[in-house]
Amino acid sequence: MPESIVTILDVAIGGLLLGSIYALIAMGLSLQYGVARVLNIAHGEFIMIGAFCTLTLYTVVGINPLVCLAIVGPVIFVIGFLIQRTLFTKLRTSAPNQAAYEGSSMLATFGFMFIIQNIALIAWGADYQAYTYLNFGVNIGGAIFSANKLVILGFSIGIGVGFYTFLARTRMGKGIRSAAQDATTASLMGVNINHVLALCFGFGAAMAGMAGVLYSMRITLNPFMGLQYTVIAIIIIVLGGLGSIPGAFLGGLILGLIGEIVTKIDPSLSLAAHYFMFLPLILVRPKGIFGK
Amino acid sequence: MWKKIRKFIIPLSICLILMLTAVVGCAEEEPAPAPAPAPAPEPAAPIKDSIVIGASRPLTGAQAPIGDAALGPMMQLWEQKVNADGGIYVEEYGKKLPIEFLIYDDATDVGTMVRLTEKLILEDKVDILFSSCGTSFISAQAPIANKYGMVLITAEGGAVTMRDSLPGLPYTFVSLSFSDHYELPVFADMCAAEGAKTAYIISIADLHGVEYGGVGNMEFARVGIEVIANKSVPITYTDFSLLVKEAKAANPDVFCVFAYPPIVLPVTGEMMALGFNPPAVIMGPGANFGFYGVSFGGDPAVVEGVSCFATANKDTSPAFAEHFTALEELVGWPNSDWWGTPLYAPIMDIWVEAIEATGTLDQDVIRDYIATHHFDTILGDTWFEMFGDGGGLMAKETHTGEIGQWQNGTMEIVGGGDWPATVLTSDWIYPKPDWPTP
Repeated sequence: MPESIVTILDVAIGGLLLGSIYALIAMGLSLQYGVARVLNIAHGEFIMIGAFCTLTLYTVVGINPLVCLAIVGPVIFVIGFLIQRTLFTKLRTSAPNQAAYEGSSMLATFGFMFIIQNIALIAWGADYQAYTYLNFGVNIGGAIFSANKLVILGFSIGIGVGFYTFLARTRMGKGIRSAAQDATTASLMGVNINHVLALCFGFGAAMAGMAGVLYSMRITLNPFMGLQYTVIAIIIIVLGGLGSIPGAFLGGLILGLIGEIVTKIDPSLSLAAHYFMFLPLILVRPKGIFGK
Repeated sequence: MWKKIRKFIIPLSICLILMLTAVVGCAEEEPAPAPAPAPAPEPAAPIKDSIVIGASRPLTGAQAPIGDAALGPMMQLWEQKVNADGGIYVEEYGKKLPIEFLIYDDATDVGTMVRLTEKLILEDKVDILFSSCGTSFISAQAPIANKYGMVLITAEGGAVTMRDSLPGLPYTFVSLSFSDHYELPVFADMCAAEGAKTAYIISIADLHGVEYGGVGNMEFARVGIEVIANKSVPITYTDFSLLVKEAKAANPDVFCVFAYPPIVLPVTGEMMALGFNPPAVIMGPGANFGFYGVSFGGDPAVVEGVSCFATANKDTSPAFAEHFTALEELVGWPNSDWWGTPLYAPIMDIWVEAIEATGTLDQDVIRDYIATHHFDTILGDTWFEMFGDGGGLMAKETHTGEIGQWQNGTMEIVGGGDWPATVLTSDWIYPKPDWPTP
């Protein structure tokens, strides 16, 4: 295969990998902020928890990291569901208006961030930790990729598409979509809004946790790694449009691809590129790609 | 009548008494021997029960893993060891005083560290100030310590820019080795001696990376090694496939990653996956910690041949064997640090000797003592190279090593300066062996 094609393949698959992880993270935050109206500053901490649980399950118990998806995802879903059902439902019902609720819930997630970080600090210590899984090269048309990279890419896209199908095709998904459009009207139409919002928060946390499970194969873990992913997720949900799941998915892929293209040109500019792409978007389409 | 008496008799009587007193006083009598002067009471020693050592440390936040494996455990060991001896004898208090640490969490935030350092000095009035963690942190802390006249022997961090500011920081003493002091000059010489012709550098886009990348350029050029690329990556960068592929395509003899563990570990993993195995690989900080060795399946033999910055190991001397054994018992082998802790270990010895020799906790006196004396520490003869009337830098001639290499699952010291203190525990393996087959 010509070298130029190999380079394009390198950049495309690298970008899609990064983008698919970003997409998973951002879809979770989009559910939490776009539907449940909780700007979850602790979103990245669920990624960290997912990653650390996988590390422990794999290195101590010997459970395959891909199997961990089926363990960590549901557990974090339940935690997220309970948090929304107890704390945020109380905040929502006692807040005088929507703006007050969004403000108080965001402050509460700040507190959660520190609580989760310190629980992780106690449980796993402050040290850097990592493990390897499927860390060998796979040749695709002359371009070599780590096997774990391809596995992460496949699973991320699978989870993203699967969740979108769930939203589009199921009755529960329809309830979530209606709550995203107008929670009050949805509740008048018979949607159990407290239950739906709790589902959204739970699914959002679970997706962050599963992103952590997958990405733990390639990164170094420490209890304070989460915030950088929260920031990226916020960029993406603004890019894709608040509350839009397809927007978050597409936004993640775009951000990953642009980051990889810029890295190919000059890696020192990759972070700046994430923010720079914001400027024209905010000017041309302030509501984001799929924003309404 | 009574009025007359009062008017004349009483004043007259007083005058008579005075006159008699004067006459008696003027009489030539042998003066009575003066009583022996009572011994002057010794000034009571000020009351003090302990020496309080204050520190603003990253107990949480991004630097917590570094602090947790470097100066943090050293402080625990010192507290145990010094207090087991009864403390430090301070002449001005007339007794041994135990040490106690007052440590605040700066959450890896420079602004918080600055506020906490001022609080420790002004409100808590600590007797000794210990170092914060990280080059940018100590760069911000040193001027504060200097402003209030507190001696600061720094730990995790050091830089050319820090050294440049030392002439204006008389209370600051830097302990850690860094890029041109004297790590990269030694490494460049080692590579040149093996016939390396080209080098490829990846550095993190912060003070550490910029400095090491720049010094790397100069040192490799000095020995005739061409630097074919010097790439900077942001601190939050996470996917290194492209970078490693480009480096592999360039086929360098020497591959340098001047970054922190969150970059060093994934780059190593990517090199293994993509089969990139140049003859010399140096990474740090990161590869100098035990956790680097166990992050790729648990067996440190996997990273055979990877080089890093390192000062000493258990074979350097019996004192270092004791030092590393104590650290392992406290924090576990994966948190062993073969670069920093050997250079932080003398800090407490220096404080103890300076206080006991001067007999005071007065910072000016202690500062002058440290600046003008040699100390007998775990490194052997230890002293600071002073910058005029300014601060000091632990002399490179005190370093027992500069470059380490993973060999048979342990860290060996394979490169050092051309001075008597250097103790190499093994020969450098060049070229680096292949990564193990997955």
